[in-house]
This record gives sequence, C-alpha cells and structure tokens, in this order.
Amino acid sequence: MAAQVCADVFFSFFVAVGFALLFETPLKALIVAGVLGGLGHGIRCLMLQLGFDLVLSTLCGTVFIGLAGIFFAHKIHTPPVVFTLPACITMIPGLFAYRTILGCIKIYGAGVDGDASKHLQETMYNFILTSSLLFCLAIGISIAALAFRKKSVKEIKHVKDLRLN
Amino acid sequence: MKTENLHPTLPRDEAATPKPQACDLSISEFSQILLQASALLMESGAHCERIHRNIQRLASKSPFLVEMFISFNAISVSLSDKSNAQVVHTATKAIKHHGIHFGVVTNASVLTWKFHDDEISFDELQTQLKALKDTKRHPVWMVRLFIGIACACLCVLVGGNWIDSACTFVASVVGLTVKQEMTKRGFNLMVVFMAASIVTTLIAGLDVLYGLGSFPGSSVATAVLYLIPGVPLINSIIDLLKGYMSIGIARGTFAGFILLCIAVGMFVGISVVGLKNF
Repeated sequence: MAAQVCADVFFSFFVAVGFALLFETPLKALIVAGVLGGLGHGIRCLMLQLGFDLVLSTLCGTVFIGLAGIFFAHKIHTPPVVFTLPACITMIPGLFAYRTILGCIKIYGAGVDGDASKHLQETMYNFILTSSLLFCLAIGISIAALAFRKKSVKEIKHVKDLRLN
Repeated sequence: MKTENLHPTLPRDEAATPKPQACDLSISEFSQILLQASALLMESGAHCERIHRNIQRLASKSPFLVEMFISFNAISVSLSDKSNAQVVHTATKAIKHHGIHFGVVTNASVLTWKFHDDEISFDELQTQLKALKDTKRHPVWMVRLFIGIACACLCVLVGGNWIDSACTFVASVVGLTVKQEMTKRGFNLMVVFMAASIVTTLIAGLDVLYGLGSFPGSSVATAVLYLIPGVPLINSIIDLLKGYMSIGIARGTFAGFILLCIAVGMFVGISVVGLKNF
C-alpha cells in the first residue's frame, strides 16, 4: 500500500507541474504546485486504500492543498490560487467526464426502441459524480476564504490571526 | 430659499480629511488605470473576488470611492471624490478574451500590495502596469513537453501501462500543438477546441483500435484532459460561493460549452476510428 501511495505522489507531482506550466504559473511557484499536487493526490489515494468514499477522499485532499497553500503563499509571496489550482487539477474527474460523454453516445446509439435505461442510470451517476468532484475542488481552493473571516490570505500570518473563537 | 440645501451631499469638513498620496491625479486618469488593471486580471483568469480586492487596494490610496461592476464581457468602474460628492466618473472597458496567465495574476497582486504599502509611487505604478501586459511566458515547447508528461502520468494514475501512457503523450502533445497554432491564427475558440479534441482522440484511438496497451480506454480518456476548462469551471464555483452570481453562471456556461465542444470532437474522433467496444 505504501509503495502505491508513493508512486501516486510521484506521478501526480508531474501532472501538477505540467498543468502549472500550461497556466503560466511563475517558476518559483512551480515546485510548490507540484509538491502540493503530489501530497494532495497522495492523501486521496491513501484514504481510498483505507476504504473511504471517493468524494470524501477528494474533499480531504483538496482541503489539505488549500490549507497548505496559505503557508506557502507567505513563503514565496504569491497568491495561493496560482499554485493551488494546478495542484487540484490533478484530481480533476477526467475519467468520469469521459464516461459521461460515452454514456450520452450510448443512449443515442440505443435509439428510442432499444433498452437505454441502464445507460441512462450509468450516465446520470457519472454526471453527478463528476460535478460533485468538481465542487470539491472549488471548495478546497477557496477553503481559506470560506473557513476564515479574512478577505485576503496575506492577513493570515499566525494561527491567532485565524480568529477561530 | 435656503442655500445650504442645494448640495445636501456635500461634506462640510473637507479640510479635516487627510490628503492621501495620489491626490493630484485626475479622476478619469485614475479610472483608466483601474480599468486597465481589472481587465488584465480578468483576461488572465482571476476570479471576481481577487479583482475586487486588487482594485480596492489601489483605491484605498486614492482620494476616490470606487464601486465596480464585473460582467463576462466588460468591466465598469464608478469613481466619486471623497471630498466632493459632485465629482463622479464612470468608465467601461471591454474584455477581449478569457485566457489564463497566472504570472500576470501574481505580478498584479504584488504590484498592488507595493502601491498599498507606499513602496512605489503613482508614476511607477503606471509604468509597471503597462509592462505587466508583456509578462514573460514559458517556452512553448517546454509547455507542450510537460503537458504530454502530465497527461501520460494521469493515464498511469487511472490504471494504464507504459504503452497506454506513451500513446497519451503523443496524442496530447500533437493536440496541444494544434490548439495553440489554431489559436494563434485567430480561429473561433469553439472550433479550436473541437479540432484539438478530434486530433487527440484520433491519435489516442489508435491505441484502442490495435489493442496496444492493457487498458486502452484510459489513453482516450486522459489524452484530452489538457483541454478541460479547469480554470473557468473552478472560477465559476468560487464566484458562486462568493456571491457573484451573474458572472459565476456566465463562466459556468462558458466552461460547459467548451466541454460540449470537446465532447463533440471526441464523438467525431471515436466515430471515425470506429470504436465499437469502448
């Protein structure tokens, strides 16, 4: 299991770096994006191995990326979204989006007379899963603004700035 | 007739308010700077809350109150003088495209903080804002290479072997090249996405057609992922969470339409290759 999680972290590091390059993230934030993407995806993989639900695991991974982003934003003086977004892209539900599209084609192929009910159910399930996972990504990226009452991450320098009480 | 009621909004204690740093600039000049900054941020893929924050950061150092309205195609700012409410100025700027350039987002944020902390003067802000538009991009071939690697890694992550990921690598590099070259030549955005999706699916479909890898479907599924409009999709949800409803819906529709184009391209590609058992 440990070997699988390590391989997962290794591969998702490159995914995050690749997408960060596509989004023109500055060079100093590239490594951070890669590390956060790797760790976030690793957390998701570990939770899946331990038998947790896919959506819950993704949420935990992205929330970790969002919270770690606050720390790194101060380290490298960069807005967090610049590297948390490519990091979260590693968990983009590509396979489920693909299956949704294939399902639509299958429903079309079955025609009116054929039995499309199984395809319909499958497609709807994949669509719902895709949109839930996307929503998890967005929550993770904006967790700093959602959970804490500060407008800008720059105002959160110490734990006491979070004003949790 | 009572003369003091003619201008009821005019504050009496003008002298009491301390004069901020950039008090000598005209209201129309300042509105142009705000519009330039906000349109640049919008064209670089920043979400509305970030644009709003950057603009208010600049405005806090000026003698004006700034209200802004952001829509998908244009940004409009309304300025009013803090010391003289009669002076009001509204200006609008169109947004030309919706690209992604996080380097600009980073530098704009740093620039506005510098101005806010009095590290740079107003003239320096103006010149650096002009230079911001030409922020350096990464070398094109490096981006293509790393996107190929990224899609190949995604293919491994969903369970393909190295033959699958090699097919994914080739398909995504060629597809991204098609997309970037067509964008440079000024084709319609949706046509670009459709063409890139067709090319990618055709190349990755060869894997399925000849049954090269262990899980051939994975290469078709992951090779098109570089096209997924991740930034508009996530920005849409962030905007909805922050309460910018109209632009959140607009961004969501934009991203949904791009997804539809990718789906149509994949459908055409799959039909041409003739995959029956996908």
